[in-house]
Amino acid sequence: MSAVKCFHCHEPVLTGDRFTLQLDNQQQPFCCAGCQAVAETIFSNGLQDYYKFRTESAAKVAAMPEQLLAELASFDNAEVLADISRQHDNLTEIELSISGMSCAACAWLIEKQLKQQPAIASAAINASTQRALLRFDSNLLPLSQILKTIAALGYQASPFVADQEEQVFKNELNRYLKRLAVSGILTMQVMMLAFALYFGEYTGIEASHEGYLRWISMLLTIPVVLYAAKPFVLSAWRSTKARQMNMDVPVTLALYYTFFASSYATIFHTGEVYFESVCMFTFLLQLGKFFEFRARAQAREATSNLLKIMPVTATQITEHGPEPTSARRLQAGDIILVKAGETLAADGTVLEGNSSVDESMLTGEYRPISKTTGDAVLAGSINHDGLLKVQVTSVLAHSRLGQIIQLQQQTLSQKPRLVEKTDQLAKYFVERLLVIAVLTFLLWYFWWNPDRAFWVTLSVLVATCPCALSLATPTAITCALARLNRQGVLIKNAQALETLPDISHIVLDKTGTLTEGKFSISRLSSFTTQFSEAEILNLIANLERYSEHPIARAFAPHFSQQLELTAVEVTIGAGIMGYWQGQLLRVGSAAFCQVATKTDAMVYISLNGEALAAVHLEDKLRAEVPALISQLQQQGYQLGMLTGDSSAQAEQLSSELNLNFMVKGCSPEQKVAEIQQLIAKGAKVLMLGDGINDSPSFNAAHISVAVHSGTDLSKNQADVVLLQPDLRLVQKLLVGGATTAKIIKQNLGWSVGYNLVIIPLAVAGFVSPYIAVIGMSFSSLLVVSNSLRLLKK
Amino acid sequence: MSIIYVLIPIAILFVAIGIWIFFWAVRSKQFEDLEKEGFSILFDEDNKAKADEQKKPDDR
Repeated sequence: MSAVKCFHCHEPVLTGDRFTLQLDNQQQPFCCAGCQAVAETIFSNGLQDYYKFRTESAAKVAAMPEQLLAELASFDNAEVLADISRQHDNLTEIELSISGMSCAACAWLIEKQLKQQPAIASAAINASTQRALLRFDSNLLPLSQILKTIAALGYQASPFVADQEEQVFKNELNRYLKRLAVSGILTMQVMMLAFALYFGEYTGIEASHEGYLRWISMLLTIPVVLYAAKPFVLSAWRSTKARQMNMDVPVTLALYYTFFASSYATIFHTGEVYFESVCMFTFLLQLGKFFEFRARAQAREATSNLLKIMPVTATQITEHGPEPTSARRLQAGDIILVKAGETLAADGTVLEGNSSVDESMLTGEYRPISKTTGDAVLAGSINHDGLLKVQVTSVLAHSRLGQIIQLQQQTLSQKPRLVEKTDQLAKYFVERLLVIAVLTFLLWYFWWNPDRAFWVTLSVLVATCPCALSLATPTAITCALARLNRQGVLIKNAQALETLPDISHIVLDKTGTLTEGKFSISRLSSFTTQFSEAEILNLIANLERYSEHPIARAFAPHFSQQLELTAVEVTIGAGIMGYWQGQLLRVGSAAFCQVATKTDAMVYISLNGEALAAVHLEDKLRAEVPALISQLQQQGYQLGMLTGDSSAQAEQLSSELNLNFMVKGCSPEQKVAEIQQLIAKGAKVLMLGDGINDSPSFNAAHISVAVHSGTDLSKNQADVVLLQPDLRLVQKLLVGGATTAKIIKQNLGWSVGYNLVIIPLAVAGFVSPYIAVIGMSFSSLLVVSNSLRLLKK
Repeated sequence: MSIIYVLIPIAILFVAIGIWIFFWAVRSKQFEDLEKEGFSILFDEDNKAKADEQKKPDDR
C-alpha cells in the first residue's frame, strides 16, 4: 500500500489519485469523496486556517446518504422543533450535540461557518463538551439547513435537550469558582499581612501598627468565613440536625472558633491572631472539593447524551400521506413508516414489509432479527434493510425502552451503599473531641487557671483541628481520579473508588462487553482452487458494500481492490447479487446462492450458480479477555456472566473462560434480580456492561462500569466509564482502588496518631497556639504530599 | 510608616475590583470552555487577506 495520507483525516489513501484537489497551489490527496468534499467546503469558505492549527487529525468523513439528509427535514416540522428548542423573542434557541469533533480547531471551524449565515444570531461551540448553543431565526433558516451546513464540514449534529440536573451542576460549578476566587485571593492578602506580623514579633512593631494590621486581616477574613466557607457550615448544620455528625462539623467549629478567638484578640488587644490559618484552611479544603466536583461534572457532561437513543422524529402515515411528526406525539393506533437505517420511534406491530432489525441495545441479542407482517417491534431498535409499515401499540413513554428507563430510575433509589468510612471515623472523632474541648475549658476555668482557659481550649481545637483528617480522603481520591483518568478510566462517582477494595464478585455482560458485539469472520471454507481466499473475500466485500446489513460490515476490512460490478440487486433477508465480468455473482444465504447446504455457515458465495466458498461468522471475544479473566480469578474475584443472549454460545463461552456462574437469556429485570440475590448473600458486586439492557442492573450493583463502546444511556448511568476499547482497564481500576485505599489508610493513620499525641499535651496547656498551628500545618502538608504520590505512579 | 494607613486600603480596593472582575467573568461564561478560546488568537479574523500571507510549513 502507498504511504500517502489523506489531507483531511490522515488515514492512508487506498484509492490512488482518484480523489485530489488543487489547494493553495498544491495537489492534495484524499482517501474518499467525503473528505474531499469537506476540504473543498472549508477552502471555499476561507477557513483553511483550520488545517494549520488543528492539533488532531479529523475523523474520516463518511458521506451522508441522501436519504438521511432528507430525513433532517423532519426537524423543520413546527411540532418537532417546539419539542427540542426554546423560543426567545423571535429567535429559536437550540442545543446541538456534535459528534466527530477532535480538537479546539473543530469548534472554531463550525462556529465560523455558522456565523457566516445571517439568520444565525449567535453560535457558541464548546469543544470540551462537544455541544453547540445556537440562536437563529427559524423563519429565515430552517434547522435542517443548519444541520446540513455542519454535515458539510464532516461533523454530525443532532438536537439535544440537556437535563435539569446538568444545569444544576453548571450553576454549582460556577459557585465553586467564585468561592475559590474569594478564598484564594483573600488568603494571599491575609498571608502577606501575617508575614508583617510575624516579623514584627521578632524585630518589634509599634502597637498601633500591629493593631491596624490585625484589624485589616479581620476585615479581609470576614468574606472568607461568611461566603467561601458557607458550604461547610450548611453541611455541618444539616448533619447535626440529622444527628449524623460528618467531617464538616469539626471543620466549621475549628474555623469559627479560631476566627472568633482571633477577632476577640484583635478587638481587645490581647493574645494571638490566626486569620491566615482560617483563610488558608478554607482555601485548601475548597480547592480539594472543587477538583473532585469538576471531575464529576466533566464525567457527567461527557456521558449525558440521553436523548440520542430516544427517537425524536417519526414518519406518520395520515390521510394526506406520509408526514414527519414528533415521536412523543404518537398515539396507539397511529401508523408509522420506518425506512432502512432509521430508529423505531414506538413499540408496535408490523403491518407491511419485511426487514431485519437490530435489538441488541434492548435485549443483548447481537444477531439481527428478521421481522415480517404481524411481528412485534420495539422502540429504540434499528431497522436495517427493508421498509416497514408499523402500527403503534403503545406511546413512547410506555414502550419497552421507556420501561427500561423507568426500571433504571427505580433501582437508582435502591442503590446499595457502603457507609463511608471517613464519615464514620469523623463521627466517632468529633464527638470525643467536642467532649474533650468542653472538659478542658471547664477544668481550666474552675480549677486551674480561669485566665488561660480560653487560650488553652483554642490550642486544643487548633492542634486537633481535623484539617489533616478531613484532607486525608478527598486529596487521595482527587489524585486517584486524575491518575485513572489519564490511564483511560473515567470515574463519575468518587465513592466508587472507596468501595473498590471491598468488591468480591464481578458480573459481566456478554454481547458487546466480553465480545466485540459485531460479526467478524471466523472461518472460510473454500470449495474452489480458482480463487485465493483473499480474492474471494474481496469479491464478497465488493458486493457487500451495497448493503447496510451488519453482516456486510464484517467484510469491510477485507476490501482490498475495487471491482467493476453491474446490475447489483439487494434481496432483503436473503442476499445480494450482481454481475462481475459478465458472470452472475451471488452472496447470501445457502438458498439464495443455490448451494446445497453442506455446512452451518452463515454466508455463501456463488459464481454462475457454482459455490465458491462458505464463510462462518461469529461475535468474536475481545482479544484481551481470556488473560484478564484468569488474572482476576487468580486475585480471588468470583466472576459471573449475565447475558440476554440465549444461544449455546453463552455456555460455550462460559466454560471456555471458566467462569464461576452464568445465567443466559436474562431480561433486564432478571439481571437486576440476580444481582440483588448476590448482594443479599453478602457479596459486593461490580457490574461490567454496555447496553441499555444492562443499565437497570448498573444501579443494583455496588459499582457499575460501562465499556468504551457502550450506549450513551449505560455510560450515563455507570459509576465508571472506560474511555478506551480495552477491558484491561478494569484491572487498572481495581489496582487504582487498592492503592487509593492504602494511601487513605496511611493518611488517616498519621492524622489520628498525631491527634492522639497532641491532645493530652494541649489539654495540659503545654502547647501554645503557635505550636499548634505549626503542628497542624505540618500534618496537613504531610497528608497532601502523601496523596500526591498517587499521581506519580 | 503611617503611609500604610493609605496604601493598604488602596490595595484592598484593587483586590475588591479583581474579585468583582472574576465574578463577572464567571457570570459571562468565560470558564465554560477553556480549550477553544486558547486557539482563537491563532486564527485570523479576516480571511480575505490570506492570499498574500506566506504559507507556514505544516509542523507535523
